[in-house]
Amino acid sequence: MPELLNVKNLSVSFRTPQGEVEAVRDVSFSVKAGEVLAIVGESGCGKSVLCKSILKLLPVTAQIKSGSIHADGMDITSLSEREMQKLRGRLFSMVFQDPMTALNPTIPAGRQIAEAVRVHRPRAAGTEVRCRVESLLTLVGLTPEKAQLYPHQLSGGMRQRCVMAAALASEPKILFADEPTTALDVTVQAQILDLLREIQQTLGTATVLVSHDLGVVARAADRVAVMYAGKIVEIGTVEEIFYDPRHPYTWGLLLALPSLAREGEPLYAIPGTPPSLLHPPKGDAFAPRNRYALAIDYEEAPPMFQITETHFAATWLLDERAPPVESPVKGGFYG
Amino acid sequence: MAEVLLDVQRVSCRFPLPGRTVLQAVDDVSFQIRRGEVFGLVGESGSGKSTLVRCIMNLIRPSAGKIYYQGIDIWDKKQFQENRKHLQTARQIIFQDSTSSLNQRMKVADIISEPMVIHGVTPPRGSHRAEAAFQLHYVGLDASYLDKYPPELSGGMRQRVAIARSLSMEPEFLVADEPVSSLDVSIQAQILNLFRHLQEEHGFTFLFIAHDLAVVRYLCGRAAVMYHGKIVELAPVRALFADPKHPYTQALLASVPAPDPRRERARKPVEFGEFSTAGTLRELAPDHYVLTEDC
Amino acid sequence: MRRNPFLYGLQKLLLFLASMLLLSVTVFYAARLAPGDPLVAYYGERAEKLTPEERTQAEERLGLYDPLHTQYLRWLSNALRGDFGMSYKYKTDVLDIIGKRLNNTLLLGGTGFVLIFALSPVLGILCARFEDRPLDRLLCRAGALSSCIPEFWLSLALILIFSVWLRLLPSSGAYAVGKARDWGDRLIHLLLPLTVVVLSHLWYYAYMIRNKLLEEIRANYVLLAKAKGLNRRQILLRHCLRNILPPYFSMMAIAVPHILGGTYVTETVFSYPGLGALSYESARCQDTYLLMALCLFSGGAVMLCGMLAQAVNERLDPRIRPGGGMEVDHFG
Repeated sequence: MPELLNVKNLSVSFRTPQGEVEAVRDVSFSVKAGEVLAIVGESGCGKSVLCKSILKLLPVTAQIKSGSIHADGMDITSLSEREMQKLRGRLFSMVFQDPMTALNPTIPAGRQIAEAVRVHRPRAAGTEVRCRVESLLTLVGLTPEKAQLYPHQLSGGMRQRCVMAAALASEPKILFADEPTTALDVTVQAQILDLLREIQQTLGTATVLVSHDLGVVARAADRVAVMYAGKIVEIGTVEEIFYDPRHPYTWGLLLALPSLAREGEPLYAIPGTPPSLLHPPKGDAFAPRNRYALAIDYEEAPPMFQITETHFAATWLLDERAPPVESPVKGGFYG
Repeated sequence: MAEVLLDVQRVSCRFPLPGRTVLQAVDDVSFQIRRGEVFGLVGESGSGKSTLVRCIMNLIRPSAGKIYYQGIDIWDKKQFQENRKHLQTARQIIFQDSTSSLNQRMKVADIISEPMVIHGVTPPRGSHRAEAAFQLHYVGLDASYLDKYPPELSGGMRQRVAIARSLSMEPEFLVADEPVSSLDVSIQAQILNLFRHLQEEHGFTFLFIAHDLAVVRYLCGRAAVMYHGKIVELAPVRALFADPKHPYTQALLASVPAPDPRRERARKPVEFGEFSTAGTLRELAPDHYVLTEDC
Repeated sequence: MRRNPFLYGLQKLLLFLASMLLLSVTVFYAARLAPGDPLVAYYGERAEKLTPEERTQAEERLGLYDPLHTQYLRWLSNALRGDFGMSYKYKTDVLDIIGKRLNNTLLLGGTGFVLIFALSPVLGILCARFEDRPLDRLLCRAGALSSCIPEFWLSLALILIFSVWLRLLPSSGAYAVGKARDWGDRLIHLLLPLTVVVLSHLWYYAYMIRNKLLEEIRANYVLLAKAKGLNRRQILLRHCLRNILPPYFSMMAIAVPHILGGTYVTETVFSYPGLGALSYESARCQDTYLLMALCLFSGGAVMLCGMLAQAVNERLDPRIRPGGGMEVDHFG
């Protein structure tokens, strides 16, 4: 499988009156065709900024400080806004968190999908566009009559389906989904996740799924990247991350889940709060909240240690000089 | 068995809609909450759980039915007036969004002591500030937070302040309306542990509203599942999760993604239809009530 | 909420009539209790030379001796029959006088209105399109300056420059003597007052459009539109502009009194024979009935425009439109 998206050492900063906020720090990953990469992390860890910086949808105060982005073999790191417009929709597209506001409230849903069809085919005939809109609606599981309705006449789930239809209109090779189910009910969430997976398999798109919900990730992802304070701290296949996590932060995330809590025991809560990215701390940003922190964690940021061909984690615990630590997650966790 | 604190009897709540239709937000709902228990109310958006909570907190008048708090009919004007003070201090609500439910321009100390000032309560610990510090300590924050403003706090800390505020009147019954759903996993765990601590160590009674089933399972003793304004199933949490009897509860449980990739991969796509809400609640197993059609 | 259109109309009509009644009472008492002498309006300079007997006679003839409420009720009963009284100064029916002056005001105010609402979207879109770039900054500063200058001051400055120094344009009137039907001459007389009316209001609306557009362009759906591949121009024109049009149209209707007021001030400075100058004159001379008729006319126009604005807004926004309720949801 060819690599469709390759991000190398990407750093993104925001200019604010207080100084520079380093939202994404030295992030590298790649996504292959037909694969779902989930980016997991808590709010403010930079996962959403990461996606938007690849599509260049960030406000002007944001700036790519260093690193490179290759999409479909093309270096898009320093493309102009005009060149990016030609790629958006066709090479990559995005589905957003809140379907309530992602559609323009004054335009019927069908017209907003048709608009996405026309962007890259300005000379398409009316009937052709209508046909395409209908087939897109069918693809996302809606009846064609829904095209006439205004967004406020559709339920949250239906709106998210329309957003997906619009995003898929020009058959993008890479789809970004930023918390696509967070604003939806559990039952609707399951349907949208199934749909996402199904579409992704029929069309062979590479998908980057951003989520804070580990259940969602377990259901939809092939590979998982865990982000903390602007960095990827662990990346691997979904099974490696859930069954053999190596980074203490990943342990903490899993242990904090009430669905995995053992009867009568309190939940494990990661102490403290994430650091400010205005002046990121020296060394490992997670160290102050990490009960396994070593002295070196406060001095020097750990490199990515390779565990298997696909599994990497950035923690000094994996260094050969580190004391052995028993993973609290490993073994008998999923009864 | 402990005293019945809240008794909801056949409560319905209807809203007129345009075109002569009526929205039946809450439809003939009955349940009881005993002192010291954590009662969960589960439902998706539009299931009527928020309306029901507003009825219980004297915010929306139910169209039919009675709600008793310690035997006081809270929607009876005379009884409410006579017990006004008690009803307003003994019951407290915690909202989902602490960003908007806390005044951004008030210091934490003032936010926490505000209910006491409003009700004219003399602070038992000398000053309002001392009282605020005590409540803050109670929810796991130290006194250095007293002079901060809500925007300076993280989501989890703000939610703690909101909890401290509701505790300042020394209530016995707390209603928590989705108190953790806007929080991150690690912060959510801190707040859930706090709730559990409040119930186990201090004997508070909770009505806990949530859409996250895992949270309900972790925290609650008994839970009711609401669907289209009706309670379709009411049971001890362990029985509810181990042996769901109503088709809606089954579908709901089946659609929660578990953090276990192998199990998720093996799972078949969930199909959803409409579920019938006809019939009455019957006790199918001890203490396990299910909405069943009359035959 | 679906409502009975007849009842709705009736409710609005009653509200309108009640407001007009209240307005007439207020204006009547305010005009009469203000210091001044209606006889001056009637006899002009001669009023001061009247003997006390002549004065009494005149006041009796004009009905000024009755208590105020009797005078008001007399006026009201006449007005209900379509007789709004006589102007003390012009000694004819007030409606005739208003009729003659109305054209001039409509020409000035109407042209100003059209120009303002044609130009403000253009400026607003330009600014939003080039947000925070030199063009936007220049327009914002120039606009702020132009709307800060009071109308009367701007009028005087323009008269000084174009009439006194350059001698290019006339400084007052609607047409030169004997050229009432010469449109070219009217246009030349219109130029300066029109400039004042447009300049003092244009930026207010253009700036509103600019800010509304920028507010819209930060909305979430714009991100989706961008992700679909639309460029900034398409997003602005197809999505954002469309969404601000309903409030803009209703703004237009509400702007009528705003611009009308500005026109009145301008008319007075330029001695332009329109309703504004007339109102000023009638208030100054205690020409009560003329003043009342003018106030009721302007007030009625303002209220009608307000109602129109509401109606337009309800029609344009699909979310307020009747029958736009939720679709029954089969997916959850």
